[in-house]
Amino acid sequence: MRFLQSFTSALLLAAAGTAHAASAWGFDDGAVSVSKKASDGSSKAKLSQKEPLSTPVSLGSTDALKITLTAKDNGKAKRPHQAFLVLREQDSGLEAPFPLTVKENGKAVVNINQKEIPVQLLVSPKPLQASIVIGSFGSAQGLNTHVFDLETTTDPNAPPPSYEKPLRYGKRDEIYHIFRADPRSPPKIISLFFALAVTATVPALFIGWIALGANANHLTKALGSSPLSHSLFFGSIVAMEFVFFLYYTTWNLFQVLPVIGIVGVVTILSGTKALSEVQSRRLAGER
Amino acid sequence: MRSLLSVLLVVFVAVVSAISTTGDRLLVILEDVADKASYSTFLGDLESRGFKIAFETPKSESLSLFHLGERAYDHVIFFPTKSKGLGPNLTPQILLQFINAKGNILLTLSSGTVAPTSFVSLLAELDIQLPVDRTGLVVDHFSYDSASAADLHDVLLLPAPENLRRDVKNFFGAAESDDEVIAFPRGVGAALGSGELLTPILRAPRTAYSYNPKEQAEVVDDLFGAGEQLALVSAFQGRNSARFTLVGSAEMLQDKWFDAKVKAVGGKSATVQTFNRKFAKQVSGWTFQEIGVVRVNWIEHHLNEAGASNESNPAIYRIKNDVAYTISLSEWSWSSWTAFKVPANDELQLEFSMLSPLHRLHLKLDPAQSSPEAAAYTVSFKAPDQHGIFNFKVNYKRPFLTNVEEKNTVSVRHMAHDEWPRSFVISGAWPWIAGIGATVTGWVAFCGLWMYSASPDKKLAIKKTQ
Repeated sequence: MRFLQSFTSALLLAAAGTAHAASAWGFDDGAVSVSKKASDGSSKAKLSQKEPLSTPVSLGSTDALKITLTAKDNGKAKRPHQAFLVLREQDSGLEAPFPLTVKENGKAVVNINQKEIPVQLLVSPKPLQASIVIGSFGSAQGLNTHVFDLETTTDPNAPPPSYEKPLRYGKRDEIYHIFRADPRSPPKIISLFFALAVTATVPALFIGWIALGANANHLTKALGSSPLSHSLFFGSIVAMEFVFFLYYTTWNLFQVLPVIGIVGVVTILSGTKALSEVQSRRLAGER
Repeated sequence: MRSLLSVLLVVFVAVVSAISTTGDRLLVILEDVADKASYSTFLGDLESRGFKIAFETPKSESLSLFHLGERAYDHVIFFPTKSKGLGPNLTPQILLQFINAKGNILLTLSSGTVAPTSFVSLLAELDIQLPVDRTGLVVDHFSYDSASAADLHDVLLLPAPENLRRDVKNFFGAAESDDEVIAFPRGVGAALGSGELLTPILRAPRTAYSYNPKEQAEVVDDLFGAGEQLALVSAFQGRNSARFTLVGSAEMLQDKWFDAKVKAVGGKSATVQTFNRKFAKQVSGWTFQEIGVVRVNWIEHHLNEAGASNESNPAIYRIKNDVAYTISLSEWSWSSWTAFKVPANDELQLEFSMLSPLHRLHLKLDPAQSSPEAAAYTVSFKAPDQHGIFNFKVNYKRPFLTNVEEKNTVSVRHMAHDEWPRSFVISGAWPWIAGIGATVTGWVAFCGLWMYSASPDKKLAIKKTQ
């Protein structure tokens, strides 16, 4: 009995296979309607499986989109296993399928509002491509046809839908460090002018001193009374300045300090002698 | 005798290392060990590539993925089993622990059997969703094998997977001729989460969809997934570079679909070859770390300035120093290390970072330091004008390639006091230098004057006292 059953079903299947060879799926009575919640107007357009609608269908944020059609296998109304409305983003190729509810007699319907459309498609700047895909088991050829374009308009009062791309490993933007600007100097001519102005104070000072009667008349007297301490004292003052000059040009602090120590000791020892000679001249009333 | 033995040992070691970079111990888990006959070509290919295969059933008491806390196997293949659970030896925790211990897993499903809960939990952990009832069937009424599935449309014929992205190397590329197809018989499609560790290897065609043959035989009321959302073969690579591959159809690895003749619906030619065998080799080779394994050979950085010492990898640099950095990379390709080539449109990048990168630069291939086994990538740049502790960081993570994350720490110091330009070359300092010169001259002159000048008003003073 069971054998017979399976045999007959196999036979039926085979018969169906031959009967539907080269048959194809299609649809009739296709219609798309958009009902608006705010104003109770609605728009409706007929769908054809041959060519897409010439004008895009517009779907507002509170509108409901309804698609009805009758699926047909070789002109005969029938229920297919697969009846999808597929929305496609044109640039990325992302797709969102919406299965149609199909009855035994092939009548199919689907309702879509904006909440059901993935946000990746909603943010698309181009209209979405809507296609109908009908297919089923057996040899009948499936139908995959572009039926209309869907434009979604968002509510201007509500925040626009935002979509953050998921993290993907890949190359990242280059970064070049921005260096701080180099320090700048004023124009050289100005620096030069002021440098000369400062240098000019030295001759001005000398001229002033000479005008007040500066002289070196006691030089021979001083050198005559204590030649060693005077020459060492004045020499150490000049030497100290020379050490500073060397510090500025080549030496480091550890080279400078011992030399300063030596020169300083010389200054103190010779200075006491030299300055007491100066004092003796002052006490003698020569200064 | 001994030398012969050592030579043999060397040869043996060479053979062993010519398989996978992570080891050759492969465990195959089947419902019944006798089932392996139907996968004999696939398993034979693995064996000929050098894997040592052990067979177990989930019920076996001797089955243990770990021995004394170490992995007992390097790789595991799961073929579909009928039992609902997998027993205490293969709990999701143990499988995750195996992945955490850098073990690789190739998991195959079949729409004929319900996936064990152990796998469903493991897949959920990896952010892979299976259809609700743990089983599903992917069908496509537009591209099926009309020879074997004229009515049920459950043997999908797919072209070779295209490049995932423009900047990713295609390890699962086309066969020799474009006509060849992959047969995907009676498989399960999975939905992948949005994580960056998951990558689809093979996606379903646009018109395919998944349904439950038991409950949705008449009509698809609740759609699990359709089109390219369905991943038929998907890959997961952890941060530790352990690999996990989910193959939706175990049947595609069986002998009968290797180099089988299929007839595409509506196709022009009568029959076409499947290249399942090559695809199976690519998928298993990728999973078991035979391809796409990147190794860092060496890293070198030095001061790139004329007259400076060319010491390698110094611990300290100065701000605004010119620095050169070189990294040498090799890629394991089936049996040998080859020079790693950065895919077109992709870049190997070096970050010079303190907390956040101050430089992110593209490394360029340096042919002078490269060889057929290793490619050297180099870049030279000026250290930023900010002192601190910096890292040379190469963070190269890409789909299908093992992760390269290299960090070398160096100090970047200030300018020393004697490294600045001298004040006499700075024109703005000239008045100040002139000021010092004037002061010094004035001071020395004053000292002389104070000590050696006679009073100009001597006569006057004498007159006054008189």
